[in-house]
Amino acid sequence: MAYLAFIGRRLWQLLPVLFGITLVVFFMIHLIPGDPASTLLGNRSTPQAVAALRTQFGLDQPLYQQYLDFLGRVVRGDLGSSFVYKSPVRGLVEGRISATLWLLGAGALFSLLLSVPLAVLAASRKGAARDQAVRVVPLIGLGMPTVWVGLMLQLFFALRLGLFPVSGFGTSFTEHAQSIVLPALTVAVALAPILVRSLRTSLLDVLDSDYVLTARAKGISRGRLLVRHALRNAAVSSVTVLGVNIAYLVGATVIVERVFALPGLGTLMLESIYSRDFPVVQGVVIVIAVLVVIVNLATDLAHASLDPRVGVEA
Amino acid sequence: MRRVIATVVTAALSVTLAGCGGGTTSAKNTAGVPAKGGDLVIVKALDSKSMDNTTTFDNDSIWVFEQMMEPLYTVTEDGKGVKPWLATSFTLSPDKLHYTFTLRKGVTFHNGQPMTSADVKFSIDQATKTKGGWEFINTAIKSVAAPTPDTVVVTTKYPWAPLVADLSNFNNGIVPKDYAGMTSKQFYEHPVGTGPFKWDHWTKGSELKLVKNPNYWQSGKPSLDSVTWKPVPDDNTRTLQLQGGQAQINEFPPISSLGQLKNSSTVQATLFDSTKTDYLLFNHTAKPFNDVHARRAISLAIDREAIIKSVLFGNGKPANSFMPPQVPYYDAATPGLKYDLTAAKAELAKSTTPQGFTATYLAAAGDVQDAAIAQILQGAVKPLGITIKIENVDPATARARQDKQDYQITHSSWTMDIADPDELVSFAVDPTTGAKAFYTGYSNKDVIDATHAAQKAFDPAVRQAKYTFIQKQAAEDAFMAFLYYSPYQWAYSKKVQGFKPYPTGNYHLEDVTLSK
Repeated sequence: MAYLAFIGRRLWQLLPVLFGITLVVFFMIHLIPGDPASTLLGNRSTPQAVAALRTQFGLDQPLYQQYLDFLGRVVRGDLGSSFVYKSPVRGLVEGRISATLWLLGAGALFSLLLSVPLAVLAASRKGAARDQAVRVVPLIGLGMPTVWVGLMLQLFFALRLGLFPVSGFGTSFTEHAQSIVLPALTVAVALAPILVRSLRTSLLDVLDSDYVLTARAKGISRGRLLVRHALRNAAVSSVTVLGVNIAYLVGATVIVERVFALPGLGTLMLESIYSRDFPVVQGVVIVIAVLVVIVNLATDLAHASLDPRVGVEA
Repeated sequence: MRRVIATVVTAALSVTLAGCGGGTTSAKNTAGVPAKGGDLVIVKALDSKSMDNTTTFDNDSIWVFEQMMEPLYTVTEDGKGVKPWLATSFTLSPDKLHYTFTLRKGVTFHNGQPMTSADVKFSIDQATKTKGGWEFINTAIKSVAAPTPDTVVVTTKYPWAPLVADLSNFNNGIVPKDYAGMTSKQFYEHPVGTGPFKWDHWTKGSELKLVKNPNYWQSGKPSLDSVTWKPVPDDNTRTLQLQGGQAQINEFPPISSLGQLKNSSTVQATLFDSTKTDYLLFNHTAKPFNDVHARRAISLAIDREAIIKSVLFGNGKPANSFMPPQVPYYDAATPGLKYDLTAAKAELAKSTTPQGFTATYLAAAGDVQDAAIAQILQGAVKPLGITIKIENVDPATARARQDKQDYQITHSSWTMDIADPDELVSFAVDPTTGAKAFYTGYSNKDVIDATHAAQKAFDPAVRQAKYTFIQKQAAEDAFMAFLYYSPYQWAYSKKVQGFKPYPTGNYHLEDVTLSK
């Protein structure tokens, strides 16, 4: 019950956040130099053609009027129509959100699959060779440029071994699953080092605490100790680290999307900024803002469920 | 999945074998016998934007919808003329104002409807009525009539030599009357035309697929069962797709990678003639670019061969005219300014700024060619006492500033849409068309008069004389610095035959076959 109230409160708080975001994004994108009509027309642009298109796009109205029209549409769920694609923004976003969610989800999963065992391995014997290795080797992953990691994975697993497609997202569920492996691995290679270090530190802290000492004195095995007791408690702070990074990733997946030709929101946002496709920029930012808030919410809920001392009253 | 592995292993083995065997790749040509059918996959950097042929400006959309919607006449393979397509012939009235087209018999739309003159009239009228699209191509058209089901009469407002070339542009592609009962918006979500391929589906950002039109008016064509275009933004990824056999054609691979492909036994690269021409624009409303001597000095100081070597890896030719060689009435004898530092210094001495000056080059951030040209220019004009500062802005900002003539020097390019010089010439040297002479502000009365005269002359000798004069004067006035002509580079599997982009950039997929 407290959980539901918590979720409700947080979603309610989303509204002023969204309002502020629409205000900032709308004015920023409209006030920077560059014009959607002349960008569309390219070297076929003449003042008459530009004026005709601007009228079609409603850009000849005063700015505050355009903002009010936009806000009025948004509350009705209408995100407007793309200047470039000449089709509803909602449709464009709906078509792209799937790839982004797959990438975020699979990326988070692979990051966990990589980092948890490594962190447990490192913490199991502090200072030993395996600990040193786990502390240093993932740093290489952190330092490697995403483009290069993606390319290497494509060359080896896709081209040479033929296990996964080189790029693309496919159309069916199985194709999505096959196509997301390499991109998610690319994300994990960059994210895992951060998680490993954070989780390892938390594990070591927990292993030093009194109740662990008690458990050891009672004769519990190392394995059970690590996994059933220490990990659960250490996970708490790492969940926050993971949540923050996933939230950041929501907009930052552009590079991975580009290398693997994934039709995601990041690419759509970048392209629409370049072409000054105002409705799409506005629409995508709103969706990304909602996603980020949801990820933060999920992080808090996970945090609360892992640590009974943390309530959901706040 | 097994087929993928098999293809990949075969490709990998052939590449390895080719490498080991000393690279006698021509002997190992895997082309084989052209077979019927096959599904072609083309990868390109950007997705298409819209299938509306009257309002869409990007090639990624145009080259796709041209497979579905066809015009009355079309550009010839060498780009220099037009040939009958959905019309078989035309006659011109003695007063040169009425063109009577005879339509081809037996042409049907993808929905089974036969094509008639009513459809043609509707299509051309819609193209003319557009706002903020390609309507400028149709400005000379006064009216279109459909006196009989297989004749169409196009009447112009004044004698207009480029008319048939204008009608060959894709905006005048033939669609069913009244959009077959749909609204324009609904229609263009799955267009219906007469072309060799018809609509299948478009998952935006992922793939756009067209399938064979079994009732295409050219019997025996197309051979392919389907064509799918997939947007793959990263250059390396596209190359891997082609190498791995997941795609058969790669649009515009980076020029730097073409050399590697020479050693492949499965993939080849071809440089096709194009109408692409690159220029440096001078803003004549900004001092000292209003001074012809200053402009000539800069143009003479540029070593075009050096730019071509650095930017295009040698795959280009210095431009002597603002018109490219693949356009009718191009004059190869046009005295374009060539690299001559002594002459450059002499020109600057005659100018209002003999000691040199400082100018700013407006560059589009992220454009590798632009950056290279800017740097080469900086070095080239230093001996003249001219200092070039480079200002990098994002492409949309650069575009907006160019339109407003808020720049001093910048870089631009052109490609032809039609097989007539008029589209480019009006745009580039006639400020009355609204583009302020390619955004330069150039205004030479003799050149403008010659442009108008050439539009109304039907005698090829007369037109040639006018265009020769225009090109020569434009070169001498150095209203822009003409840089280079470059080809269109494509990489594709050796299994692909008959793939030939025309100088206007578009390609006829009904001629392509895929061997096994």
